[in-house]
Amino acid sequence: MDTLKEDLKKQIIEQLNLEDITPSDIQDDSALFDDAGLGLDSIDALELIVLLEKYHGIQVTNPDEGKEAFKSVQTMADYIRKRKGDL
Amino acid sequence: MAYIGAEVMISPLGETTEENWLALCENRSGISLVPDAGFDKEGLYLSKIPGLTGPARFRGLLTRALKQISEKIDPAILPSARTIVLISSTKGELDGNIADQFGEPAAALITEFHLAHQPIIVSNACISGVLAINAAANFINAKIYDHVIVIGCDLISDFVVYGFQSLFAISDQPCMPFDAARKGISMGEGCAAVVVSSDREIYKDQPLRLFSGASANDANHISGPSRTGEGLVRSTKKTMNNNGITASEIDFICAHGTATLYNDEMESIAFDRLNLTHIPLNSLKGYFGHTLGAAGVIETSVCMQMIRQGMLLKSLGFREKGTSKELNIVSANKPAQINTILKTASGFGGGNAALIIRKI
Amino acid sequence: MSFITTYCHLTKDYCSVNGTIAGRRDPESADSWFKQIYKEKEFVYPKFYKMDILSQAGFLASELIKRANPELVTRYKDDEVAMLFGNDNSSAETDVRFRKSYQENGAPSPSLFVYTLPNIVMGEIAIINKWYGENMFAVLPKFVSGFFVDYAQILLATGSKAVLCGWLGIKDKSTEVFLFLIEKQAAVGIPSNADNLSALAGNTSFTTD
Repeated sequence: MDTLKEDLKKQIIEQLNLEDITPSDIQDDSALFDDAGLGLDSIDALELIVLLEKYHGIQVTNPDEGKEAFKSVQTMADYIRKRKGDL
Repeated sequence: MAYIGAEVMISPLGETTEENWLALCENRSGISLVPDAGFDKEGLYLSKIPGLTGPARFRGLLTRALKQISEKIDPAILPSARTIVLISSTKGELDGNIADQFGEPAAALITEFHLAHQPIIVSNACISGVLAINAAANFINAKIYDHVIVIGCDLISDFVVYGFQSLFAISDQPCMPFDAARKGISMGEGCAAVVVSSDREIYKDQPLRLFSGASANDANHISGPSRTGEGLVRSTKKTMNNNGITASEIDFICAHGTATLYNDEMESIAFDRLNLTHIPLNSLKGYFGHTLGAAGVIETSVCMQMIRQGMLLKSLGFREKGTSKELNIVSANKPAQINTILKTASGFGGGNAALIIRKI
Repeated sequence: MSFITTYCHLTKDYCSVNGTIAGRRDPESADSWFKQIYKEKEFVYPKFYKMDILSQAGFLASELIKRANPELVTRYKDDEVAMLFGNDNSSAETDVRFRKSYQENGAPSPSLFVYTLPNIVMGEIAIINKWYGENMFAVLPKFVSGFFVDYAQILLATGSKAVLCGWLGIKDKSTEVFLFLIEKQAAVGIPSNADNLSALAGNTSFTTD
């Protein structure tokens, strides 16, 4: 199991106060910002930027960069690994 | 019928209305680079009042403004039972007492100026100022009070600066409303006051006519501007219709113009839908920064001065068209006969408000 | 003439509609009191969980008023329902939480910051109901019936046909939420005046039948 992705799911739920959602409800590649997915909005996207800094020490200075990275848990994990030089 | 006059302004540009007007005529800005102001101790462009530090800053500004007001009107008005004070503000004395941001400053005004009534705080984000002036006109027209003093005041604090930083809303340059290269707001602080009354004789200088405006919610998003400008269109339309004022009578529009990408675009769409894009327009945020709850009162006070002095002020920070609908933005100060001004505001919570003032 | 037609109280232990108790807090529950009401009344609006406490209170009380007076959503045009809210401490509860986010928890939280204005609750209610009407939020040291009656009357005289009014007294230790609907024309309701409103506002001795 990819612990980074599992950690991210927990962190997203915690950071965004997503009540009644458990990590198992979030698929690795389900769209975070689609109404069919988690239905997050633009403020949640900014909160994910806070999450990256708080839990992963990654600073995002341009919110547009976040847009690509925050498509799904999978893309977030890829982004974190890339920024940390793991890829 | 409501009159408006006795405008007072305290800002980084000056301690009095006269000093502020002089600075505006010279196209000076209150915005400057303030070291260590950001959350990561980075420098930020802010419009801060020099030397304004320490506790009770908010109360201090309110008191100074009310003192200046008292010298511009009949001295019997301030303590009259027919007078009420409205304070438009978002964060009041937050740094002094976060749990009760308005109680102490309001109580201090009652004691110091012998006010007959408890001041009411109007707190509606960035439309607070325009809304409070409209509330004043409503109170006068309904004959609940004869005189209403509206004071708009907000301060720069770590709280609001870090908050707008977290929204990526602060520009790394002095703000450039409606410009193609705009990148966001510059925060500002300041205080302004006006007197709204049913009696034109109370003013030492000639007042202007105030047409009470309307507000409208976008019913769209709590922090993002509407893409269609719906609330701004509705509030402006109602303000014009309720007062029987047509587009051809409006000489100038003092827009909100925060210099965020989406706000200014929204305003251009709204003014286009209203067929008002040909009317000369400016944003005053390039001079004062965004003073939140104070903005509507500061900017209405400047509009009053523009009418009195017969001068259209340049929209500071604007260079080239940056909205999908072209606006008639004032690119240099220009003497002009101005009779009627439309002032608008839009803000968080989906609020929009408008008012109209006219030379008598 | 206008009428107070529907009202709702939320206190620390009870919620009531038109003076009749509609729910009691379960002190054993792991959920917050407002969350208990949300679940108990089977509301479905997931955004509720992201709202701050002022907006949660406004959501619950306005939805309970709608259930008791369903015509509120059908009778008026989209700009005919105004909102006039107030309290004595602005958004202080959320302000403290936001300050904590940057003072103790590492970074300013954007989703908390957007709720650090007391008028946001009216924005939330406007979004849910698609209401484009007038809004005003006033901060006063205490609930003043005269202010609400007078200003609602002004709104009703300038184009609005109903005014949803609210007092959102929410502090660490106390909850005094009182929403009431003033309508220009109504078949049932009591005349909107300061005495009648004060009587309803102080109605904390809930009847249980």
